[in-house]
Amino acid sequence: MATLIHRPDGPLADGAVQLSSTTPVLSGGRIGVLDNGKPNARLLLTRAAEGLAGRIGGHLATVTGKGAGANAATACTSQVLETLSKEVELVLTGSAD
Amino acid sequence: MGDNAAVDDYQGLVEVADQGPEGLYEYFSERGWGDGLPLVAPTHERVEESLSHADGDPDEPVAILSPRDGVATRRAVAVNAVLAGCRPEYLPVVLTAVRALGHQQVNLRGVNATTHPVAPLSIVHGEVVDALGFNAGLGAFGPGTRANATVGRAVRLVLLHVAGARPGPGDASTQGQPSKYTYCVAENSAESPWEPYHRSVGVEAPSAVTVHCGENPHNFHDMESDRIERILDKAASAMATFGVNNACISGGEWFIGLCPEHAAVADGDGWGRADVAAYLFEHARRPASEFRAQFDRLAWADWMRTADDEALLPMTQEPGNIRVFVTGGPGKHSCVIPSWGMTRSVTLPVAG
Repeated sequence: MATLIHRPDGPLADGAVQLSSTTPVLSGGRIGVLDNGKPNARLLLTRAAEGLAGRIGGHLATVTGKGAGANAATACTSQVLETLSKEVELVLTGSAD
Repeated sequence: MGDNAAVDDYQGLVEVADQGPEGLYEYFSERGWGDGLPLVAPTHERVEESLSHADGDPDEPVAILSPRDGVATRRAVAVNAVLAGCRPEYLPVVLTAVRALGHQQVNLRGVNATTHPVAPLSIVHGEVVDALGFNAGLGAFGPGTRANATVGRAVRLVLLHVAGARPGPGDASTQGQPSKYTYCVAENSAESPWEPYHRSVGVEAPSAVTVHCGENPHNFHDMESDRIERILDKAASAMATFGVNNACISGGEWFIGLCPEHAAVADGDGWGRADVAAYLFEHARRPASEFRAQFDRLAWADWMRTADDEALLPMTQEPGNIRVFVTGGPGKHSCVIPSWGMTRSVTLPVAG
């Protein structure tokens, strides 16, 4: 017999998944690396960024950590995010274990 | 079973062709919902009955849960409590645990994103333990009691559905752990020599829930000692291992679940909760050189970072991070519960 039940997931928070608009063309773009604190993340992400920069004619503009007191398990400081948003068009981050 | 086509509407109601165990199981599985176990259909009537035990607006958020950034309204929590098999009157306990998970210091995004097997343990304190039939005695962490089993399961279902902590896209745990199905225990205040845990952390309420995000319990036993130091030496040895995140993250907490008989020995020796914590802080130690040999990166307090290699360093940076409660029944087995590390426990009064 057909029955109505409640969905288990509930609504999403306002703006929860709003991402910034993507850069339509990366050619010549500035690339940043955000080291998330995992082992070898800086090395891996920097190599990837350099490779990408070579393919799109861009350049690696900055390599940074998450900020004072932050680590792989905590959020990046807002100061670092603001700086990145001004200095680069693309950020590589998120190396796992 | 039949064709369980969904008919979504703005109230979050969907139509299922078959609300029996197999039909519901199939419907949920197709949508990536559920925990792999049979579910109770969250019909409007059941959800409303559950919500009749909450105090506020059913659609008021009690927490925003990462990584999905799902809104845990009272209604959404009630839906998952019904799914888990909770009696309606359990809802305030589930709501309190969910409310705690939304606190920033829990760092739920990290809890769900990590490869560590961490699961939130809900510890129920106070009058609600007896009133709702939680098992704080023999086999307190184990099966057989509806309140423990379904409240813990409801919390996990909220994480799966509302927080989006599904293995893979929302939960990166390498192996998981059994307590990711259900993880709820009650404090045995009746056989504890000390004030209820929640009062020891400043929560003056008849009932409360503590949420601690950690590993499964690690057992230690001592069948013969009549001195608390000798018992706690076993706890210290269970703590002083390099395999837990507490070894490399000094800000992590430990929860120590003493059985009543071990707690009675402590009390007989005139020890309070803080004495137990202080002893474990002093005796659960390893040389700094051994830590440094084992880890390339140590998220340590500054004073530990600068210690000489010969210094014996503790498994957490301060005794206040070692939190003691009493649970279980007859026998001489207790446990230590390591933390994921980058998280802090939260204790809140039970409220609907």
